[in-house]
Amino acid sequence: MSEVHVSLNGERVTTAASSLQALLRAQGYDLAAAMACAINRVFVPRPQWEQRMLANGDQIDVITPITGG
Amino acid sequence: MPNETWSVAGTDLGSRLMLGTAQYPSLQCLADAVRASGTQVLTVGLRRLQPEHGGGNSFWQRISALGCRVLPNTAGCHSAQEAITLAQMAREIFGTAWIKLEVIGDDYTLQPDTFATIDAANQLARDGFAVFAYTTDDLVVAQRLRDAGCAAIMPWAAPIGTGRGPMNPQALTTLRERLPDAVLVVDAGLGRPSHAAQVMELGYDAVLLNTAVARAGDPVRMAEAFGLAVRAGRAAYAATPMTERQSAQASTPTVGMPFWHQT
Repeated sequence: MSEVHVSLNGERVTTAASSLQALLRAQGYDLAAAMACAINRVFVPRPQWEQRMLANGDQIDVITPITGG
Repeated sequence: MPNETWSVAGTDLGSRLMLGTAQYPSLQCLADAVRASGTQVLTVGLRRLQPEHGGGNSFWQRISALGCRVLPNTAGCHSAQEAITLAQMAREIFGTAWIKLEVIGDDYTLQPDTFATIDAANQLARDGFAVFAYTTDDLVVAQRLRDAGCAAIMPWAAPIGTGRGPMNPQALTTLRERLPDAVLVVDAGLGRPSHAAQVMELGYDAVLLNTAVARAGDPVRMAEAFGLAVRAGRAAYAATPMTERQSAQASTPTVGMPFWHQT
């Protein structure tokens, strides 16, 4: 199985996961949690997580609600 | 004391005080302060999630239980693209089109990059967001934000977190006079309830503050004080304050003053 080298929340990750959803699961994220994703600073809606394929060099951000002013 | 309803982004609200949720000693303190203030709108942020931290559900569940409208912010963004992407992510998570748009131009003053803010406001408004735009007290920028279709224009009183109060009341007065139909909210830099009352007396529709309550010695009591001050300021504005005079004018009648006699 081929691997891709991506950056996940600022950390370099090498993964066999082919899709964003597979990557999130492999990294231990609870998909039911309150969170949203972007790849290369572009929003990826939740319905697209399963179909969105990863590419080498992708910069993925996973964010969640926090306190804020 | 009369409590006028106001309207923003198609929503009627009974409190003209909006509160941030950051920097409280505890979530319980935050919840108590929210109740004491009477606020109906809370701002929240978005930051990276590590899988071992779960889904941020604990904070989100506590906030949701308070029964307030949520206004997500794009705090920390330095470009229009970052702010737009964060807004889209916020809309999906929170299920609201409301967004407090912040695009920072300087990391020391935390003042907004007004050019990027206008750019982002235009794009977000076209995409159906109700944009609450954090800005300076510059009139032309505020006009551009109005033209972009912002739900609220939110000029600063002073830099975020300084608690200085209104640096330029004249500029705030000008904004109110020149944008009579816009929803104007003073956001950032308020430190004391008297600051909030001052801007409400200028006719501002609401105020938004965080540090002034969260970092007070007694945040719950301060939250109550701000709630009262906002209502007092609005009532004062509605009551049409007296006109300032150049010279003194006695309030007690001079007729019948004793101790003078004809010789």
